[in-house]
Amino acid sequence: MDKIKKLVQHISSLVPSDRKIKIMNVCGSHEHTIAFSGIRSLIPENLEIVPGPGCPVCVCPESDILNAIDLSNRDDVILVTYGDMLRVPTKNGSIRAEGGNYKMITSPFECLQTASSNPDKKIVFFSVGFETTTAPTVALLEMGVPDNLYILSSHRLTPTIMEVLVKDAEIGIDGFIAPGHVSAIVGSNAWNVFSEKYNIPTVVAGFEPDNLLMGIMDVLWQLKDGKARTSNVYSSVVKPEGNLQAQRLMDKYLKVSDANWRGIGNVPASGLELRDEYAGKDAKKVFELQEIKEDRIPGCICGNVVLGKAYPSECKLFKKVCSPRNPKGPCMVSFEGACNIWYKTN
Amino acid sequence: MAKIEIGHGSGGRLTKDLIEGLFLKYLTCDELKPLEDASYIDLEGHRSAITTDSYVVRPIFFPGGNIGKLCVCGAVNDLVVSGARPRYLSLGFIMEEGFSLESLEEILKSIGDTAKNAGVRIVTGDTKVVEKNKCDGIFINTTGVGNVIKPLVVGGISEGDSVIVTGTVGDHGIAVAIAREEFNIDSPVISDCSPLGELLMPVLKIDGLKWMRDPTRGGVATVLAELSGHSGLGIEIFEDKVPVREDVRFISDMLGYDPLYLANEGKALIITSSDSADNVIMTLKEHTLGKNAEIIGNITSAFKGVRLRTRIGGERVLDLLEEELLPRIC
Ligand code: SF4
Repeated sequence: MDKIKKLVQHISSLVPSDRKIKIMNVCGSHEHTIAFSGIRSLIPENLEIVPGPGCPVCVCPESDILNAIDLSNRDDVILVTYGDMLRVPTKNGSIRAEGGNYKMITSPFECLQTASSNPDKKIVFFSVGFETTTAPTVALLEMGVPDNLYILSSHRLTPTIMEVLVKDAEIGIDGFIAPGHVSAIVGSNAWNVFSEKYNIPTVVAGFEPDNLLMGIMDVLWQLKDGKARTSNVYSSVVKPEGNLQAQRLMDKYLKVSDANWRGIGNVPASGLELRDEYAGKDAKKVFELQEIKEDRIPGCICGNVVLGKAYPSECKLFKKVCSPRNPKGPCMVSFEGACNIWYKTN
Repeated sequence: MAKIEIGHGSGGRLTKDLIEGLFLKYLTCDELKPLEDASYIDLEGHRSAITTDSYVVRPIFFPGGNIGKLCVCGAVNDLVVSGARPRYLSLGFIMEEGFSLESLEEILKSIGDTAKNAGVRIVTGDTKVVEKNKCDGIFINTTGVGNVIKPLVVGGISEGDSVIVTGTVGDHGIAVAIAREEFNIDSPVISDCSPLGELLMPVLKIDGLKWMRDPTRGGVATVLAELSGHSGLGIEIFEDKVPVREDVRFISDMLGYDPLYLANEGKALIITSSDSADNVIMTLKEHTLGKNAEIIGNITSAFKGVRLRTRIGGERVLDLLEEELLPRIC
């Protein structure tokens, strides 16, 4: 408690009184800690901590979910995916509401069990998320997967989208709290580009409130210095080079591709798909899935929320018609989604 | 056409909307109006309390209890927190064709043991059987009657009163979630399911006692949010004072639950005048079920609603349970 008090005091003394400072976090779990521990209520008002694209469920394109629903309605397919994905709304409802054969998993390795106990079915693993969930998926491929298991990859790259945000003057990011789990995979060096090329302080932080406050303090220090660095206050878990084994496997099985982000649109070189050598495992190819045009959800401003351009409370539907029970947009579904977190803490 | 959703049974916002929007439209009387867990009724001059509840918990057997123990504790606790001594229960069973007789016997044994332990008598009952797949094993309805020792009403609560919880929160919710095997976790958490008569009867004698409630579905946060709504007063809760078992906290973090919203089946929230709070805590701690009792907050008129002072001194809002965390938790 004393430590927190000191950190908060120090942070307050570092915030200039004459301008706004905007620090973005890029991880749903960071946003969770910030909101649930009430960090915003402790710091000066002109220090904004905004949630960015840290929720994988929120940015997964509608097209992939629509295709997943269709796949689950085929007699020969069982669709497996993470629980949150089942509830994400689309123009045709959610997987849970409209899907046929689907199964929730908490770890990709559960696919193996499903595949072996259903030898006459095709098991499609709808694999979504950032580097954190990509790593176990490629580990699964490396183990050797049964013939009847296919991957529907909707993986996205965090550094790429962060670079898009930095270049967007409308957002005006002064610093990043880099995601702890993603950093464990890609390494803190992956963020050097932000300090070196854009002079944006970037600090890797963990998930305890004091660690996050330290990260915020570090960003403010660097802003005061006028010289950005990439630093790491979560070095117990995150190494500069990251998890080389995971990186090697990601490179072995996946290639970078242009990809759609829900509510945002196409972002060059921001997605991962299976390499051509593994086309036989790629559900998009095997089932000849087509890209389906995304329909914006009327009123939902998730795209802007994910980009740090709007707070959830600025959405007209927030708390009125959109709630965790009845999510109108993807940001209200997962407990990593900014709207969901906002709903419960404001 | 609007339909019943699973969340209508959550005990949270949706349940409240359903009761207030539809049920009360056709069914209302003075006794029902306070919408407490039990109602006060007059039986030819004898002040009594009556409560009813249905049990649909899944799985039927879970660490620390089963549907039988739960259905007795639920009725008993609703009466006790209403300031009544539980006396009589009725039980209605709805069973599915094919349900194991051995399981039924085990449930009945639990019911017998728990009723004895809680000092209540089961005086009437009913059994119905429906065809296979028309219900899930066994559902039980319990009605309980008790005599009122001290009527407790929201109106008695005022600024400065203390908020007490009688022990660790979230145990039942986590125990049942794990028992469902939806998550691959080996956990030692057992449900807190227990009758609270022995623990709370002595508290009823304490002068400053204002109000009690057992935070079942929707947890501590939902009960407090409702209380704040009914009383028009604000409630401030201190996160670091709320007792949570280490393993419950760990598993909740992992699964994205907030222990403040998880169900309890052997805990009570107590509102008492601040000068009697220590006395209430001392009295609770004399019983093993109350050994972790804590003052967790206070009533205020400085704001409306419920605000949590977080462990690091920050602030956030607690509202009614919105999401259906775990359907069929009791
Ligand atoms: S509140 Fe709902 S509709 Fe509005 S941006 Fe968030 S998810 Fe979309």
